[in-house]
Amino acid sequence: MTLKECYAALNGDYEEVMGRLRSERLVQKFVLKFLEDGSFELLCRSMEAGDLSEAFRAAHTIKGVCANMAFSALLDSSSQLTERLRGGDGGAQTQELFERVKADYARTAQAIQAFREEAGG
Amino acid sequence: MKNKTTRFLLTSLIGVALLCVCVFGVFAVHMGNQSAVTINQVGTLYMSSMSQQISVHFESIIGIQMEQLRALVGTIPSDVIHSDKTLQQQLMAQAKARDFEYLGFYGSDGSFEMLYGSQLTVTDPKPFLDSLNKNQEKVAIGTNAQGQKVVLLGVPSPHPPTPEHDCAALVAGLPVTYISDNLSLEENSERAYSFIIRRDGSFVIRSNNAYRNNYFERVRVLYEDVNGITAEEYLEELNAAMVEGIDYSNEFTMGGERYHLYCTHLPYSEWFLLTFLPYGSMDSIVTGFSHEWSSLTILSGTIILTALLLVFYKYYGLTRKQLREVEEARQAAEAARKEAEHANRAKSEFLSNMSHDIRTPMNAIVGMTAIATANIDDTRQVQNCLKKIALSSKHLLGLINDVLDMSKIESGKMTLNMDQVSLREVTDGIVAICQPQVKAKRQQFDVFIHDISTENVVCDSVRLNQVLLNLLSNAIKFTPEGGEIHMALYEEPSPKGDDFVRIHIEVRDTGIGMSRDFQKHIFDSFAREDSARVHRTEGTGLGMAITKYIVVDAMGGTIDMDSKQGEGTQFSVTLDLEKAQVMEEDMVLPNWNMLVVDDDRQLCESTVAALASIGVSAEWTLDGENAVAMVVKRHQRGDDYQIILLDWKLPGMDGIATAKQIRQKLGDKVPILLISAYDWGEIEAKAREAGITGFISKPLFKSTLFNSLRQFAGPLEAGEQKPEQKGPDLRGRRVLVAEDNELNWEIASELLSAEGLELAWAENGQTCVEMFEQSPVGYYEAILMDIRMPVMGGYEATQVIRTLERPDRDLPIIAMTADAFAEDVKRSLDCGMNAHIAKPIDVQEVLRLLDKYLK
Repeated sequence: MTLKECYAALNGDYEEVMGRLRSERLVQKFVLKFLEDGSFELLCRSMEAGDLSEAFRAAHTIKGVCANMAFSALLDSSSQLTERLRGGDGGAQTQELFERVKADYARTAQAIQAFREEAGG
Repeated sequence: MKNKTTRFLLTSLIGVALLCVCVFGVFAVHMGNQSAVTINQVGTLYMSSMSQQISVHFESIIGIQMEQLRALVGTIPSDVIHSDKTLQQQLMAQAKARDFEYLGFYGSDGSFEMLYGSQLTVTDPKPFLDSLNKNQEKVAIGTNAQGQKVVLLGVPSPHPPTPEHDCAALVAGLPVTYISDNLSLEENSERAYSFIIRRDGSFVIRSNNAYRNNYFERVRVLYEDVNGITAEEYLEELNAAMVEGIDYSNEFTMGGERYHLYCTHLPYSEWFLLTFLPYGSMDSIVTGFSHEWSSLTILSGTIILTALLLVFYKYYGLTRKQLREVEEARQAAEAARKEAEHANRAKSEFLSNMSHDIRTPMNAIVGMTAIATANIDDTRQVQNCLKKIALSSKHLLGLINDVLDMSKIESGKMTLNMDQVSLREVTDGIVAICQPQVKAKRQQFDVFIHDISTENVVCDSVRLNQVLLNLLSNAIKFTPEGGEIHMALYEEPSPKGDDFVRIHIEVRDTGIGMSRDFQKHIFDSFAREDSARVHRTEGTGLGMAITKYIVVDAMGGTIDMDSKQGEGTQFSVTLDLEKAQVMEEDMVLPNWNMLVVDDDRQLCESTVAALASIGVSAEWTLDGENAVAMVVKRHQRGDDYQIILLDWKLPGMDGIATAKQIRQKLGDKVPILLISAYDWGEIEAKAREAGITGFISKPLFKSTLFNSLRQFAGPLEAGEQKPEQKGPDLRGRRVLVAEDNELNWEIASELLSAEGLELAWAENGQTCVEMFEQSPVGYYEAILMDIRMPVMGGYEATQVIRTLERPDRDLPIIAMTADAFAEDVKRSLDCGMNAHIAKPIDVQEVLRLLDKYLK
């Protein structure tokens, strides 16, 4: 699996990230690091605990990272979730968005895992 | 064609030679036959005359005796009978007086009545008696009582025969030796000999060892060949001739030797004279003549043949030469054709390469133009496009310039624009141009100037630049990352005279080198090594052809090359340049003591020499440790160096570390200048921190040194060198980044460090504030601030910083957040931030803003 294929699998914008970071080496490095980022766990924990402000911060971070990495799908869902949480809304819609973020994150993480196994060896 | 001519020549040569041999052979054979006939004729003539002579001689000696006898007979009176005693007495006396050994009367019945001498018998009485009876004088052979042969002469007597006195003739006798001695029948000097025989073949007189009684017998036994007929046939012929009374001549072989014989009748007798002559003597003359003739014939034949051969050989050579010339001309034409084809192919290849090479930047230009048009409102995008267009255009211009140069060269229109040129400026320019490329490939680039005393020369600066750029850009292009590139300049007296100086320029690299095959074509037009290694490298393949033309053909210099595949390449250019007539600026500096520190001994020595020529006495050393020791020693003596020149890259302790140590020991008093071939922007901050006063760039020409050091001649505040600012250059600027997410920090750090910014990371607002507070005033020049952070957010942190008691609390703070709504921007600005950037990070935007606020 190439980096480009990985991006396609996680619904990201490869051209955009290459345009900004310019080097495939860098993109690869950061993509692999994405898995180590604890923001998603923080989001999950906070949502479970009902700590909406911490959840907001975590969602916001995820949004920022996704923007930098051009993970378009996760960026989209996390942005929406961020806006929901910004207003302190923990309702059904928020839960629904959270589920979407989880799904998107899972897909993203899965694609990166697959890429890491092939590329990282 | 060649074979045909050669075959014709050889055939005709052999033909003519054969003809020659035939003609001369026939000639020789004919002459041989002719000489045999001649010998025969001459032999016959000679023999007949000799026989005649003998026969005449015989006639005369017999005739004399006959005359005597006749005279004796004349004295006999006709009336006196022969038995008369007186008469007999008288006759005897007279006969004795006439030397007759025998005398007698011969009766008609053949009886002898001897007057004196012993009784004689006639050997062949019949013809003798017949002749005498017929009243004819006759000679015959008889024998005496002792059996010795006696020649008998008979003259008829005048007395009529009476019954009692039957006397027919008076016969006198002579010893047979009388005849043989007088006739010299024995072998003489010419080896000729004679026999006298009777008609039946019996010998009258023998000689030459003939022991048989009959010549015919001898013939039958001894004669091997008689001129092609048998001995019997010969005897028949001889007999017939004897009967007819004619002379006979023939040849025969006896005992292996060839003889000529001649037979003639002797007068007064029934005898025949046979004379023999061996061919030997005569033959030797004629054969000698014949041999001479043959030799002459062979000689002339040989001469003619040789002459013919010579003529043929010459002609053959001539034909060969012509053929060769034709062949050579053909080959030359073929070679010319191939060369033309090759040139044509090279040109076609060049055209296709060129169209590809031109298409690539053209595509970029067209494409970027389209993108820029589509995003005409997006300044950032348009700028980006324009930058790429400018780059591609530059590349395109380079290609076109090369092609134009080449066409100028090919049409002989390239001329030099001679002007006064400063080698220092040219080299400085080249180094400045090459530095970005060298840096991009992380190559080690060194420039060495050895003892250049004549900086100003007359040359075409544009072309000189072109040559140097070509050599250097090739070196950079074909040297992998981390390789070494080395350029050296040195000077020596020119053989062209005192007004000239010989400049050597060497460019060496540790690149991929060239294959041996390619080295042969490196200076050809349109040459590019076509292998996988250099496939990606762009260019027209004209660079080296142009370089060579400029150096060798236009400037009259030389260019040499030494390259090994995988090891590197070295180009050496030698130029004899005229020294510029203008006086060089009078460069004199105070009599300082200086220290030069560089790991290259040559550079040290030439720099010290250059310094000495502008009035500065300097010492040098090769490493940092030594330099510190020397400085300290001087310091303790109270005799400090006025200025220290320090190379940045030194083995062991580098220039910056060395400067730090010197500063620690000596304080800030002594100016320390860092020598560097590189743009020192990226190390400037570190260097300044270590206490470096300024920078001096390689190559170190006399004027470079003078200009750099001159500032220290006046008050030190005269100003130090500032690096050239080109555009938004933020290298070395220290920026604090507050960002809670490690991934985001790393991205920012990676992108901005590449632009030369020095970043420090604060994990949250609190840390950010603390770091800022603890830093020296002016240390951080800007802060990039995330908004959403644990512990302390960006807004609060900004507010805290703005209220700190520091002169630099108003430093630029730029929000960098995923929040991109207008209200977010507004809030950022309300909190005291200078600007707002939305994530994802756009490096250009960050740089633009930083540049804007840092000015």
